[in-house]
Amino acid sequence: MKGLFLLLLLSIVGQSVVFTQTPSCEFTLSGIVIDEHDQQALSYSTIYIVELEKGYISDINGVFFAPNLCNKTYTLVIGHIGCEPDTIQISITENTKKTFYLEHHIEELKEFAIIENEIKPLSSVVKKELSFEELNKTRGKTLGESMKELTGVTSLTTGNSISKPVIHGMHSDRILILNNGVRQEGQQWGSEHAPEIDPFIANKLSVVKGAQSVRYGANAIGGVVLVDPSDLPNNTGVNGEIHAIGFSNGQQGVTSATLEGKSNKLFGVAWRVQGSLKKSGNVQAPNYFMKNTGMEEQNFSWALGLNKKKYGVELFYSQFNSTVGIFSAAHIGNLTDLQIAFLAEEPLEKSNFTYNIERPRQEIEHELFKVKSYIVTGKQGKLQLMYARQFNLRNEFDKHLPRGTEADLNIPELKFGLTTHTGDMIWEHERIKSLKGSVGINGIYQENTTQGRNFIPNFIKYSSGIFWIENWTSRDYKLQIEGGIRYDKIYQKAYVWKNQVLTEPDFNYENFSGTIGSVYKLTNKVTLGYNFGSAWRPPGINELFSDGVHHGAAAVEIGDRTLSPEKAYNNLFSVEYRAKKLLIQVEGYYNHIADYIYLAPELPPTLTIRGAFPTFRYKQTKATFKGVDTKVEYHFHKNVTYTGKVALIRAFDETAAEWLFGIPSDRFENGINFHVDSLKSLKNLFIGVSLQHVLKQTRYEANSDFVPPPKGYELLSLQAGLEMPLYKTKKQTVPLIIGMQINNLLNTTYRDYLNKFRYYSDEMGRNFILQLKTTF
Amino acid sequence: MKTIQKITKASLYLFLAVTLIIGCKKDKDSPKPSPINPPVNEEELITTVKITFVDTAGVEPTVTVFFRDPDGDGGNAPTQFDTIRLAANTIYSATIELFDESKNPVENITQEIQDEADEHIFCFTPTNVNLSIIRTDSDGTYEIGLTSQWTTGTTSVGTTQVVLKHQPSVKDGTCGPGDTDVELNFVTEIQ
Repeated sequence: MKGLFLLLLLSIVGQSVVFTQTPSCEFTLSGIVIDEHDQQALSYSTIYIVELEKGYISDINGVFFAPNLCNKTYTLVIGHIGCEPDTIQISITENTKKTFYLEHHIEELKEFAIIENEIKPLSSVVKKELSFEELNKTRGKTLGESMKELTGVTSLTTGNSISKPVIHGMHSDRILILNNGVRQEGQQWGSEHAPEIDPFIANKLSVVKGAQSVRYGANAIGGVVLVDPSDLPNNTGVNGEIHAIGFSNGQQGVTSATLEGKSNKLFGVAWRVQGSLKKSGNVQAPNYFMKNTGMEEQNFSWALGLNKKKYGVELFYSQFNSTVGIFSAAHIGNLTDLQIAFLAEEPLEKSNFTYNIERPRQEIEHELFKVKSYIVTGKQGKLQLMYARQFNLRNEFDKHLPRGTEADLNIPELKFGLTTHTGDMIWEHERIKSLKGSVGINGIYQENTTQGRNFIPNFIKYSSGIFWIENWTSRDYKLQIEGGIRYDKIYQKAYVWKNQVLTEPDFNYENFSGTIGSVYKLTNKVTLGYNFGSAWRPPGINELFSDGVHHGAAAVEIGDRTLSPEKAYNNLFSVEYRAKKLLIQVEGYYNHIADYIYLAPELPPTLTIRGAFPTFRYKQTKATFKGVDTKVEYHFHKNVTYTGKVALIRAFDETAAEWLFGIPSDRFENGINFHVDSLKSLKNLFIGVSLQHVLKQTRYEANSDFVPPPKGYELLSLQAGLEMPLYKTKKQTVPLIIGMQINNLLNTTYRDYLNKFRYYSDEMGRNFILQLKTTF
Repeated sequence: MKTIQKITKASLYLFLAVTLIIGCKKDKDSPKPSPINPPVNEEELITTVKITFVDTAGVEPTVTVFFRDPDGDGGNAPTQFDTIRLAANTIYSATIELFDESKNPVENITQEIQDEADEHIFCFTPTNVNLSIIRTDSDGTYEIGLTSQWTTGTTSVGTTQVVLKHQPSVKDGTCGPGDTDVELNFVTEIQ
């Protein structure tokens, strides 16, 4: 315990030593940190001076000294385990003494709290994350839309309500989503199958590449998306959070509430309940309503946890229920219909506003139950066990009404049931000398049942993997090297019925994957990173077995049972320059994928009763994905920040020497944000404007699509927000956090290349968003 | 020792509660489908189009043509796609029938189209062939096309496109709106 604490101390002191000192400044700030409620000194508080990038720690009496300060105003972030960090502005004109009050809820410091606050690596090898504040701005949007805020992440959409994250040009089966630590297992292969996750569960969204992706198993070719809730509360009492969000377009309303606490009785069980509701009607493009584009969502989750010094248990359950209307005019019977739909200036089926959701539609339910436990082993180790069960139900209703009785109306034309059992056993060790790491095994059993239209067969799947990750950090925290290795074995057996005869083809895949990466802090301001990793993915069930007309795509897709797994070799370089006023992040990647699976056009077209359809067969080739993501932040005045983002990507089929289909085009974003920390009783005021510029995708092959990609577009949007006291009690102030946004401010008419419905309709028009949030 | 008992008791309660919640959920999906069971194919296919041509004057022999793709889209290619061979300068009365031959017994879908006449329309487009076609039935407002009149001219060879559109609540008498259920280009010979 003491050793750990010393390390914590060392890390902070160590960091402060690294930074150079300014000789002309000679004032000292001596402070004492005190608990606002009981006036007790808060020992070992952390004091971070933003301008100097220096950290200090208070002694056992809550006292600290910050020497060598200049004659100016500094921003201090003061934190203590169990407290919300507080940001304070202080002007230094001479040697200053000051008392700082922190709000503190724990009567007694619990030792496990320190274990949880383990030393964070100075920067994880390859990680992009949406902070709590940034996440707040995206509240009410789907997971896919929220993630677009990260540079290099776009989304593949099907209309306005179905959105999947695209990382560096890869999506669906090529990225892995970890929902609260559990591999999300839905029908991910479909581009119109959005992740079945309520974003309100998360208080952090991140994309990781590098060694951590080795931990989670196959399919992490494009990266791993982590959807993490906050830890269960450590302090007794009840806290909560309420969101209410309104969107003008679609007259959409979203609300979510969370209540959490920790009981004094029952050995200190911590708990959380959370629920959210969403309802939207038909959305509006600048010139018309889009028929049947409403959606509904009802989600809830609960968690119970017992965290002790030596052991802990946590239970989590969540349920996601959604009904999504599919834009009617986009459901087409054959190629002629597609041609007519594309040539039409406006969709052929008109509509007004309504909340009714008719055919075609999807009804989705996703259930997750998880038990996780840990036991502390020895001085430095922790053994974790996790079991999770997921159940995914997907009902798809075609536009065609079944010809039959009324009762048939509620029978989906396609029904998938996917049950997945996941088990993990991981042993983690804290820093032993400079090494920190984990070893573990994972196992998955999966069972898929399909009813209705013959599209993919039933199957069962066993998957097991073993991994080992180590992280080495130099004593001065300047160099960090992380490496990991993993071996997976997957067995899959399909049950294929054809002409009332059952065949049971089975498949065995096995593979090693590994990664090695390093982060080096060249100077105080410059950090360099490099990572090399290999990843793989077995062919998806649709790639092996699909055989028939893909509804809505107006094409015949033919699978191939002899496909071999995709193997990817990813290189990632990063440079970060972080100074007082300027932040520059540049990330470059070069990924080579052997046996990249894609749909290749084939002649002759397939003749069906609905006419001839273009035919595509799943094939494999050598592909390369390369690109650059850049983010710049410049604080040219203390209240004004400029933010710029650039994402460029080139994806090429090396064998055929052709561009790959469906790759995001180049995009640029510029924004100016004006912010004030406080104004009388108001806090965190900001107003900002941003301009997103998306170029036309010019890198495509003429025969790869029915029509050329849509032209480029520019979108202007406006954001503002503030925090005001809602009411005050003796103990605390309950804040009301208000966010306002106008998306597509100029009501621009445009179509996006990554929207599957680009053939049929324009994108959504102007949208006013009001977000209200309160915490108590 | 006592604490351990308490813990055991507490976790027992927890698991009980959890099992209850999860248990309740699963029931509604019973009986649980197993991957080994044959798929329940609830979908209705149109696999077969049959057109019967009867000479209204009763002189020329009756002509019957088929399009057959018994396993539906994809899979095996269509098994029968006849040429329409009609006598010159004759007025035929044509009747269309639709079947689902993937089912056993074979299902006749014609009546269902008739029942939902206000959602369906057939369109006929002859190309390079001396033929004119008019629909002869109606749903009360618009024509349907299950029955039609084919008037042939002089000897010629071309194609006739037969289209069935499904137009729930958007039927306007044209072939524009809706989804295509059938679209076939029959080779047509007037001899």
